[in-house]
Amino acid sequence: MNNPYQPIKTKILKVITETPQIKTFVLKPENHFKFEAGQFIQLTVPGVGEGPFTPSSSPYDLEKIEVTIMRVGKVTSALHKMKEDDVVGIRGPYGNRYPVEKWKNKEILIVGGGVGFAPLRSLFLSLTHNIKDYKKIVFCYGAKTPQDIVYKEAVLDRWQREFGKNVSFRITVDRGDETWKGKVGLVTTTLDNLDEEISSIPESVSVVCGPPVMMKFTTLKLLDVGYKPENIYLSMEKNMSCGIGKCGHCQLGKFLVCRDGPVFTYDQLKDIPAIWD
Amino acid sequence: MKELFLSKDNYQRFLEKILSKFSLYAPLQKGDFLFYQKVSKENISDIIIDTKRAIHPLKSFFIPARRKVSEYFNSSLTLDQKERVILGAKACDLNALKISDSVYTGEKFGAEYKDPFYISARERTILISSDCMAPDENCFCNLLGSKPFPEEGFDLNLSSLEEGFVVQVGSEKGEKLIKECESLFSSVDQDMIKKREKRREKAFKLLEKTNREFKTAVSYRELVKNSYDSPVWKEHSESCVDCGGCNQICPTCRCFLLSDKKVGEKYERYYLWDACLLTGFSRVAGGANPRKMLSQRFANRLFCKFYFFPENISIDACTGCGRCIAVCIGKIDMRKVFRDLAVERKIPVGLENE
Repeated sequence: MNNPYQPIKTKILKVITETPQIKTFVLKPENHFKFEAGQFIQLTVPGVGEGPFTPSSSPYDLEKIEVTIMRVGKVTSALHKMKEDDVVGIRGPYGNRYPVEKWKNKEILIVGGGVGFAPLRSLFLSLTHNIKDYKKIVFCYGAKTPQDIVYKEAVLDRWQREFGKNVSFRITVDRGDETWKGKVGLVTTTLDNLDEEISSIPESVSVVCGPPVMMKFTTLKLLDVGYKPENIYLSMEKNMSCGIGKCGHCQLGKFLVCRDGPVFTYDQLKDIPAIWD
Repeated sequence: MKELFLSKDNYQRFLEKILSKFSLYAPLQKGDFLFYQKVSKENISDIIIDTKRAIHPLKSFFIPARRKVSEYFNSSLTLDQKERVILGAKACDLNALKISDSVYTGEKFGAEYKDPFYISARERTILISSDCMAPDENCFCNLLGSKPFPEEGFDLNLSSLEEGFVVQVGSEKGEKLIKECESLFSSVDQDMIKKREKRREKAFKLLEKTNREFKTAVSYRELVKNSYDSPVWKEHSESCVDCGGCNQICPTCRCFLLSDKKVGEKYERYYLWDACLLTGFSRVAGGANPRKMLSQRFANRLFCKFYFFPENISIDACTGCGRCIAVCIGKIDMRKVFRDLAVERKIPVGLENE
């Protein structure tokens, strides 16, 4: 029987503590498992339950899958207690992906907030795998405090050196501390003076992922600075249970997020009431 | 469609024959309502198929309230293969199966992930429907362009006459069942067909009379368009107690939640009915909830039926069975909600519509 509710046995290879609330789990599924940036998986904590998460690793890495998860509810709290060599389950990948082939030779603006960095990291690694295909990548990221920045070593240092002038970073925190020498302000402030780095905003694409309120104000600002609604890509957070278009939890207007998303353009969503709630 | 006659005596023999080969489920009276129950030799004569729909939705046979869908990490679950017969489903029940079929087996809802449990439950079921002859005060299939008698989706359909039944054969499964006891059936004559049409018309007229005051000049599908901010949702949800009964009893509501537990050394995953009327339905782990307010959830249930499904598969996810009205503690009547949406837009309602 081909059972779509059956998880694949998966070993935890490693657990990386990113922030006090966020950990990255490095996973090795028992069966072959391939996803593309933007797609999500259902991750099972055995006997506790499942939750939808978007992998944060490169889709080109076929040896393992990384998932970056904030501790907020029942499943994620149980997951945060798990260790190397423990067993979890995964199903998927589900949903659509970022249409990166449409972005060739374009300038790409990535805007992330908090743990919303996770799918964007996968996207970033996927784009930089073929860096010559894109004209420019500007990566904007905001966290609450310096402590809350995920992938700190990469985002504050390694990536900045690795990819040269075609990739630039604008990192900000809502509240600084004595160690923080960077920008302080909401993530939307990183979108000021974008024309210093992006030569043609109307031709450029933007990709946003973060908490609902961050997505809302970021989208409004992007529209304000000249992004076209069809060029603003949003990763929508919903409580997918089945992931396969059946259970009804992720209904959004005429869409099901698991089937039609999780990646939508603002153009697709703009007339749906309460999309940011 | 092939039509045959089954006399009253032969109907009893037919049921006995079915009972000897299959498990049989049919509507039986229990308190104020009809419920589908397992039929045995003892209660076979209590079956009621020529009045109205059972209160119990037909979906329960295909998507039970709770079903084990996985034991991980092994895949030892097997599907029940035993054939069964369900007798006495009404047109509104069969129409509802179009919705669950599209979700669990169709192309539009994750075609690569068809639900093997649903498919097997449908395949091993023989559906013998019957005409609705006594729609009650909550029935309103006529307002949705449906008829109180089945036109498709059955293996056999029985139309009750005084002397017996006109039997329509709707599928190969139905044909096969007839073949096994061919001697019980004879040919129909035009007089029987005429009598059937008369009875069907009578039931339809009764529905028209009951629902006259609710008839809106435009369809429910039109009425929900751009109605998100209408005060009607708040007004009508004031007596809603948030119980989700309308979801559970609705033959087209098919939402579920996967729930896991540890049993001994094994892990089990269950499919459980869920209800979009309940607060937690759309809440995400971080706490955000696009439908925090009861009025939003109340409206969403009807948007799903008259906007989401029409947009996706071009049919309304409501068959007018009226179960949601019958079950509601707060006496909420969907027909009145739509009547008020129409009134709000100055669209003719009821008598003025004629």
